[in-house]
Amino acid sequence: MDKSKFSHWFFIGPHIILFVVFILIPSIYGVYASFTNWNLMTSPTWVGLDNYRTILTNQDSSFHHEFFNGMKNTLIFVGVSVPLMVAIPLVIASAIEHKKVKFKNFFQSIIYIPGLISISAAALIWSLIFNSQLGMMNNFFGADTVWTATQPYAWMTIFIMTVWGGIGGNMIIYRASISNVSQDLYESAEIDGAGPIRKFISVTLPSIRFPLIYTVVMTTAGSFNVFGQPLMMTNGGPRESTTVLMMYIRDLAFGSGQSIAGMASAMAVLLGMVILIISAAQYYVMNRNSA
Amino acid sequence: MKKRLAFLIVAVTTLLLTGCGGNENVIEFWTPLTGEDGAYMDQLVEDYNDTDPEHPVNHVITSDLYTQIYTVLQSGSGIPDLTLIHADRVPSFVNNDLLVPMDAIISQQPELNEDNYLPEAWTAGIIDDVQYTIPLDIHGSAMYYNIDLLEQYDVMDWLDDDVVTFDEMLELEGQLEEGHYVVNDALLGWVALAQLQNVGGDIEGADGEPTVDTDEMREVIRYLREINEAGLMTPYGEDGYLMFQSGNVLFSTDGTWSRLAHEQVESLNFGVTNTYSHSAEVFHNRSSAHLFSMLRSEERTPEKEEGIGEFLEYIREHSIEWAEAGQIVASREVVEDPEYDQFMQSFYTQDERHEDSLYIYTYEHYPYVAEAIDNYIADIVHGEMDVDEGLHEMQRFVNDRVAEGDAELEDAADAVEDFDDDVDTNE
Amino acid sequence: MNKKYNISKYLAYLFLITVCLIWVVPMIFGFTTSFRSQGEVVNEGFRLLPVNWIVDNYMAILENTSSAPILRWIGNSLFISITHTLLVVVVISITGYGYSRMRFKGRDVLFFTLLGISFFPNVVNIIPLYRIVDILGWVNTPWAMIVPGLAGMGNIFLVRQFMKGVPKELDESARVDGASDFTIFFRIVLPLIKPVLIVGGLFSFIGSWNDFLWPVIVYTDVQKMPVTAGLLLLQDIYGNYQMVGQLMGSAILAIIPTLLLFLFAQKYFVSAINLNAGIKG
Repeated sequence: MDKSKFSHWFFIGPHIILFVVFILIPSIYGVYASFTNWNLMTSPTWVGLDNYRTILTNQDSSFHHEFFNGMKNTLIFVGVSVPLMVAIPLVIASAIEHKKVKFKNFFQSIIYIPGLISISAAALIWSLIFNSQLGMMNNFFGADTVWTATQPYAWMTIFIMTVWGGIGGNMIIYRASISNVSQDLYESAEIDGAGPIRKFISVTLPSIRFPLIYTVVMTTAGSFNVFGQPLMMTNGGPRESTTVLMMYIRDLAFGSGQSIAGMASAMAVLLGMVILIISAAQYYVMNRNSA
Repeated sequence: MKKRLAFLIVAVTTLLLTGCGGNENVIEFWTPLTGEDGAYMDQLVEDYNDTDPEHPVNHVITSDLYTQIYTVLQSGSGIPDLTLIHADRVPSFVNNDLLVPMDAIISQQPELNEDNYLPEAWTAGIIDDVQYTIPLDIHGSAMYYNIDLLEQYDVMDWLDDDVVTFDEMLELEGQLEEGHYVVNDALLGWVALAQLQNVGGDIEGADGEPTVDTDEMREVIRYLREINEAGLMTPYGEDGYLMFQSGNVLFSTDGTWSRLAHEQVESLNFGVTNTYSHSAEVFHNRSSAHLFSMLRSEERTPEKEEGIGEFLEYIREHSIEWAEAGQIVASREVVEDPEYDQFMQSFYTQDERHEDSLYIYTYEHYPYVAEAIDNYIADIVHGEMDVDEGLHEMQRFVNDRVAEGDAELEDAADAVEDFDDDVDTNE
Repeated sequence: MNKKYNISKYLAYLFLITVCLIWVVPMIFGFTTSFRSQGEVVNEGFRLLPVNWIVDNYMAILENTSSAPILRWIGNSLFISITHTLLVVVVISITGYGYSRMRFKGRDVLFFTLLGISFFPNVVNIIPLYRIVDILGWVNTPWAMIVPGLAGMGNIFLVRQFMKGVPKELDESARVDGASDFTIFFRIVLPLIKPVLIVGGLFSFIGSWNDFLWPVIVYTDVQKMPVTAGLLLLQDIYGNYQMVGQLMGSAILAIIPTLLLFLFAQKYFVSAINLNAGIKG
């Protein structure tokens, strides 16, 4: 009896230890550190709301400038990339699920494969493609643009690479959901005289509501952590116009200057709050409207 | 629960620590050589270890070396025995008491002395008459020229006095074929720092404060902008480095080590000269030096220090290998070896006039100044950014970082002191 | 009716083929460029196919085992990803069993509390996590990437959901026969939940292979880093000097392992993604 009373600890205990050490403690400490001066190595000193005050209100501080610039650029990235990462795979999935299209799995594999390539390998290749002298864009399409040094082209390189590497998962989800939509619904819509676009809007979209909500929320939350693409494609340039918040946070905490981990933690907490609020709002709004 | 957790952590840690403790005799040697040169250093270390020394060397290439140094100093463990650092880091490290003088090593290895090294490299390690470092090399700006293009435009004579001047370059205004340029903007920040010396400016104010927003800097920018406005500089954002390799640019201002990359382009017929200047009388090549140093550490035994001395002496004698990496070797013995003449960078040690042109910035806050200049100079020279605005931004950038960086160095220094105190009380 | 379908069919094909071309061309371009010499790249500019196919770039890449040891990086990545994946499978199976089959007070409350906490954005815990990993002495060791990811809740949630679909009668009848939890777990449940474990493992492998931010933070020793962080360094080493062929060659080498995995485990990937999104494919 005694044995069975405690044997569940054998099953869940190891994970709880891992959870406490690698998620719970760091999360709490991350919030705590945002109220301190901390160089990452020695013990932090409590400074109350100073970090937040500096970041949010001190116009002269470079932290203030970095936070707002980083947040602005992060929001630009999320605002543009999320609709692309939902709409494009949705269209592709519908095309693949067209009744008469064959080689469905072949098309799907081609689109999915870039998702398996690490950001750094992909960025090396894309940087070359956008290289103004050697790349494909300028030589093939006759463009005369220095892509990564001028806006809005610098952003475009980041978005193109992101879409290329990031839509495979969503596409597979949409494809599976579309194929699950009952044919009867389409047929009755056809009887009502609906064309393909009409059918897509009034039958397909409502039927795949839950996968849509799921992908929008997940894609948004993931997009806020954007880091690798701007780091490797533009290095945050031109003139910090693509430097996202994660890059500043990393530089402050682990960069080649000193470690200003307290300030970095405060920025991280603010970013985390934005992620939570937006995810919750999205979930609420979409669930509401489609119910 | 808590106890069990603590136990687990302790158990795992000891397991891992004992697992990677390694040989106590090994000299842990950290370098920031993440480029091609890392391979050459690896070879040198390997050759040394093949001589079967009592203290073999373990070469660890470390990205973000200086961050990593602060981290290990503050945590007090895993401090490397020997570290290769840049000349501009010496003053701040010494001011914060992070380096051990080389006295003991120099007394054991008599050949490690001033006469056996290039003076600029040797003196870069002296602070208040104490020698803190032994030099490996000088590396810095170089200006490559495309021989075929110089002949095509009939301007080989520009090279006669070893200095290409702004006036000479401006002669070609309006004379160039479409797509050709006189000079690129590779390593433009370094060029600007060389020009700053040419016009008699500096980055250190009278009270040791960093100065970027100065009249001399404005003069430098005026010169560079003139070249750009005349249409002689490769356009903003374009890869001027590649344009030189593809034979569209007469001069490329990059580093001594780029020779290796240029040589890979067989069609490129090139040579090397000094960074351009406003006058043939005054010229500088902005340089730095790689210096061997020892961070303060309680774990480094006198025997190990002896081993380090032997390694440094080996490097002094055998660093011709290092010339392969494109660097100007600091050891006299190597530089004066006829074999060294085959290396293009021997141009910079051909006579005293050239040796003197190798200007090493050793100002305490140089790293921040250099970072600021690198960040903004291209925008300013190409007219993408207003001069006043740009200089102001640069000055603010440096000031902010100096304030932050001081705090960090003090933390590291405190950590080292605390550590010393602990040891003292233990004894 | 049929005609309309035909037009839309051709439109769909046209669209899909265009998209696939756009998707494939970068990889082909990277691949072919890795066989071009620096001289050719610089003088001929852009070409999809090399004038002369050479392997010198690969020779140079493989020769540099000190500052850009690409094979070593790939080896590090393999060790990290495989070890991580195996441990993930162990952890999620036993933990998932615990939360769905064991009976103890507050089980579901505990589970959902942990799940809720894990939704907390991880940008907040990454800085202290570095400190913890440093205290454990794991900076610049594979453990820095292997262990912390084991704490995640996502896969455990998945396993728990999946186990709900496994009929309880099986283990209950075994329990009546006097089998212990351990026996039930190993003999009965484990074989049944294999599909979901494959899913969890596959995602863990890809996730840890492609992780970028964390390895860039915890690895500074060039010999110890995984390939994603290594390629960032390469951008400095070859990128500054525009050694284009070598850059592309390194990227291609880094792509190969996950590509092979995909070729062999393709069907699992699709069902994995759908299972993750809660859709039966």
